Amino acid sequence: MRRSPTPLGLLLLACLAWPAPSAGEEAPGEEAPAPPAGEEEPEVDEEILITSSPAPGSRLPSARARSEVTREDLARRLPRSAPDALRFEPGVFVQQSAHGQGSAYLRGLTGQQTVLLFDGIRLNNSTYRQGPNQYFFTLDSQSLASIQVQRGGGSTRWGSDALGGVILALPVEPRPEASPGDWFGWDPHLRVASGTADGEIGGRLQTGLSFGDTFAFLGGAGGRHVGQLESGGAVHNPADGELPLVPRFADDGRTQLGTGFDELTFDGRLVANLSPRHRLKLALYGYRQFDAPRTDQCPAAHAPYDECLKYDEQFRTLLYAVYEGRRLGPVVDQLRATLSWQQQRERRTMARPRAAVQHTGRDVVDSLGLTALARSPRLALADALDLQLEAGLDTYHDLVSSAAWIAFTDIDVTARRSRGQYLEGSRYTYGGLYAQAGLEAFGQLRARAGARLSWIDARAPDDPESGTRAVERSWLPMVGNAGLEWRPLSSLAVLVNYDRSFRAPNLDDLTSRQQTGPGFQFENPALGPEQADTFELGLRLSAPILLEAWGFRTTLHDAVVKSPRQDADCPPDTPACQASWTKLQLVNAPADAALWGVEGSLLAELPWGLEARASVAWTWGEGPNVTPRPTDPDAAYQARVPLSRVPPLNGTVELVWRSAFGLTLGADVRWATRQDRLALSDLSDARIPRGGTPGFAVLDLRASARLAERLLVSVAMENVLDAAYRYHGSSVNGPGRSFIFLIDLGPLWRSPEPARPAGP
Amino acid sequence: MHRLPAVTLLALALSACGGDPDANGQDGGEGEPILGEPCAPPPAYVEDVSGCAPAADAYQPRGGQDTWPACVSDDGVYHPLGASISSIARVQAYHAIALLLWSADPRPTRQDFLDARILFEEEQGLGSRVARRYDPHFPAPAAGKCEDEGVPAANPDYCVGPATLQPLLTGAFASGAEGEARLVNAARIHAALQWFLYVSVIKEATTCATTAADCDSHWAYYAGGGPRESPLGLGAEILALAPETHQRIYDGLLAVRCWRNLDHEGGEATDLALRDRAIAQLDRALLRGMAVLVRQRFAELGCASEHYRQAALEALRVLVPLLDRAVRERDASAAGFLAAEVQKEAAAIDAAGAISRLDALFPCY
Repeated sequence: MRRSPTPLGLLLLACLAWPAPSAGEEAPGEEAPAPPAGEEEPEVDEEILITSSPAPGSRLPSARARSEVTREDLARRLPRSAPDALRFEPGVFVQQSAHGQGSAYLRGLTGQQTVLLFDGIRLNNSTYRQGPNQYFFTLDSQSLASIQVQRGGGSTRWGSDALGGVILALPVEPRPEASPGDWFGWDPHLRVASGTADGEIGGRLQTGLSFGDTFAFLGGAGGRHVGQLESGGAVHNPADGELPLVPRFADDGRTQLGTGFDELTFDGRLVANLSPRHRLKLALYGYRQFDAPRTDQCPAAHAPYDECLKYDEQFRTLLYAVYEGRRLGPVVDQLRATLSWQQQRERRTMARPRAAVQHTGRDVVDSLGLTALARSPRLALADALDLQLEAGLDTYHDLVSSAAWIAFTDIDVTARRSRGQYLEGSRYTYGGLYAQAGLEAFGQLRARAGARLSWIDARAPDDPESGTRAVERSWLPMVGNAGLEWRPLSSLAVLVNYDRSFRAPNLDDLTSRQQTGPGFQFENPALGPEQADTFELGLRLSAPILLEAWGFRTTLHDAVVKSPRQDADCPPDTPACQASWTKLQLVNAPADAALWGVEGSLLAELPWGLEARASVAWTWGEGPNVTPRPTDPDAAYQARVPLSRVPPLNGTVELVWRSAFGLTLGADVRWATRQDRLALSDLSDARIPRGGTPGFAVLDLRASARLAERLLVSVAMENVLDAAYRYHGSSVNGPGRSFIFLIDLGPLWRSPEPARPAGP
Repeated sequence: MHRLPAVTLLALALSACGGDPDANGQDGGEGEPILGEPCAPPPAYVEDVSGCAPAADAYQPRGGQDTWPACVSDDGVYHPLGASISSIARVQAYHAIALLLWSADPRPTRQDFLDARILFEEEQGLGSRVARRYDPHFPAPAAGKCEDEGVPAANPDYCVGPATLQPLLTGAFASGAEGEARLVNAARIHAALQWFLYVSVIKEATTCATTAADCDSHWAYYAGGGPRESPLGLGAEILALAPETHQRIYDGLLAVRCWRNLDHEGGEATDLALRDRAIAQLDRALLRGMAVLVRQRFAELGCASEHYRQAALEALRVLVPLLDRAVRERDASAAGFLAAEVQKEAAAIDAAGAISRLDALFPCY
């Protein structure tokens, strides 16, 4: 077996080699401490033209359509996963192909057409596929401080893939645990969670450690067992009233086969405040998911009840080091650099037990990453005219290992395939240089602009046995953005943005062969990049209520879409292609595709401790019809057709009451209308009921109470009316009426007074 | 659902990966030796069509006078509804399996069985369809589908794929790959797949009423996507023995296509009476073709020896039950005779009696 690169040694070496604070530098402790675990990063008074935070890369730009899930939101809503935590964000629609997966649609796009980030490091790699994927699920929501969402293109800052938007998850930071005057502090937490809809039982043990003012550590491990999910019942086809082919139900008509999984997580984060100006972080995040069936393939439509595609292993490991510098000189006010190694490993098995056959695939992607970002101080060009600059680079290198085999369990024989889903030894290098500038005039008008030069290089070997061609492709795209923000009133801002983003074909597009929801998809080594031009207009009212409204139009040039293919188009020696009902290949659309829509959000602080929130989003997507025009001129044919799985009109309403004595109560409604605008590939996708996905409205009730200083109890009653519902494009129906419980104990105890080390 | 113990999970989590299995194939041995000789030459069969006439309501695209309205099939060619017919790949797999196990070299090796099983179990391949195949000749279960747990066992005739064919095929592939009774296992596989192809033609023709792609599949499962004069798979086997029967089967395929052309081709069919008329024509011809295949196996009992004769008998033990429903409808005593004969030792079977009954029950028309 090929060994994965382990840059741990390099990172440790970097830690050891980092210079200690020198004489003359400010003493540790003079810098404002990191925020306590579980609390939000405080907003600073300082106005930043490019982002709204002093830490580069820690906040998505406020001048864009942006929203944020805070730690308080996470604690109140008790999401089942990181994707689940995004359900209340405007313009975000979370699809699930499995109970153990989740993929967020941003302005009608998801998967490889959005960028996922963790602490500024890309989760996206070169095997992200078109359509929904499971990878955001591999973040432990209990280790997150916040999740930010930027709707609309973001390639200038984040590179390839950021067509529909960007999702940035930030981890909980360690905090100094020591009491004033103590050298050592220790702060353990224990959380236990349980859910009745899926029999979830799990928890997390976490501890913070601090050593003086210099070192702080936060580490934890968690796990959970999740059983089969009981829904509110079957969602019926709008077209004929029949049951959709997926999911398959148990005899009770509510419990969904092909759901449930086991999960382990672990993480450790060490922060070294080397000086008030220099900080070093070393972090490790691990996610291990076992036995997670893909609901629409467990069993697949028409297949026997015991046939199941299961992700035996869905693993992710991220190890990285961060350097953060502040006030480094007259030109560089802030600097952030990261060096990362990430490994994504998945192993899938399609088991047909009565035939004693298992089809297994295993893919491992090792990604080495380097990022650097520098930001200038605000430079006064003239009276009431300030400039701020930001520049950076990032580059990642993926190395792919892929294998597949078929095993006959009754005779204990295994035969390897000549290739896996990808090609063993494929490589993908991607990155870019970028610069952004922000200009503020008279305190009312702000202008921003940026540009990026990217590099992408794809290399994959051939595989003659399967008729796979070698791939050697390179691209050097240029993109940019510009925006204006006008504040006619102190509480009112009008924002206009233009963004050009891009997505270069990745190894999944260029080399993969796989069964997808709509059919068998095979590679297109000649695929070209796609670009997105986004124009958006926003209105932001900050008093007396927070109100945002955005309208957007995204034009996709050379959009990558699934095109139906014939038997003769299938690659040679690929019987799974010819034998599939639907064959698909990704192609560049011959004409522009477009997405447009509106999004709104509201946050109102009401009397008596009440708070009201609401969100709404509507998206329309259409593109050219890539199926051949029928030879019969009288045959029905639409030149433009809906884009795949564009979410319907949807929204949320939340009402929260916070008492002065630690009790919080909430009620919310999640709703969506019917989506019957279906792409051709949607029609062959068993995840979508015939005639579209029915609309729904789901009521949830939530409560949490701090019963003691160290005891927080939360409970949520989901789907109070026991509605049968499904988010459009999902394989799995939402939970039926059920409860989620969370008990949070912490800190359990304080460490005894440590002996202070002898002073110099 | 199987769950890993927590300790195991922890160990896996820390190790971060489990290794891939090494490929392990056969040990090189061929298993039990093959004894005896096949029929050389194969038993001759000359189809006598002198007294045959199509039914009065039959669709006759080859020039006869029929009562059917004009339709797309009138040129005698099957015109697919869709541009992509996935079932053709499964028939191609059947053809490839045949080359490995019975048609090219009738002495299959253990590796041949393994290679054939891989072809059979490809994703979306023959195995996936055998596992879900039902026989619309029998009443559907009152509750549930053949995909559901317990339904095949309770409805073995209707759920013929999961209840009968899949276990038979799985066992034969495994046994053959172990080197056991290679000719017998090859014959079982051959016969079970013939049964599957027969049922698939009728099933797809039936569901063609609601799923247009199934019309093309019914044609593909018989002809493998080939034209009338050079079909692949089951069609080729019947054509080799009984050319006129093959022509009548092909006429039946075109009758189904004609019905679908006349009955809301772009949508859901409503003229189910015409559908049933087309399928009846097809099924009558196809049963005749299957009877010819069975007939040939009975004939082989007289000229093959040892393992080759045993293989012919095993094929009959699979295929006679396929015909049992149709035989019993025509002559219950003949059904009992055939069922009893194939349970005997090969040397004790009254092959001539069986052949005469088959010829009488499934005449040409």
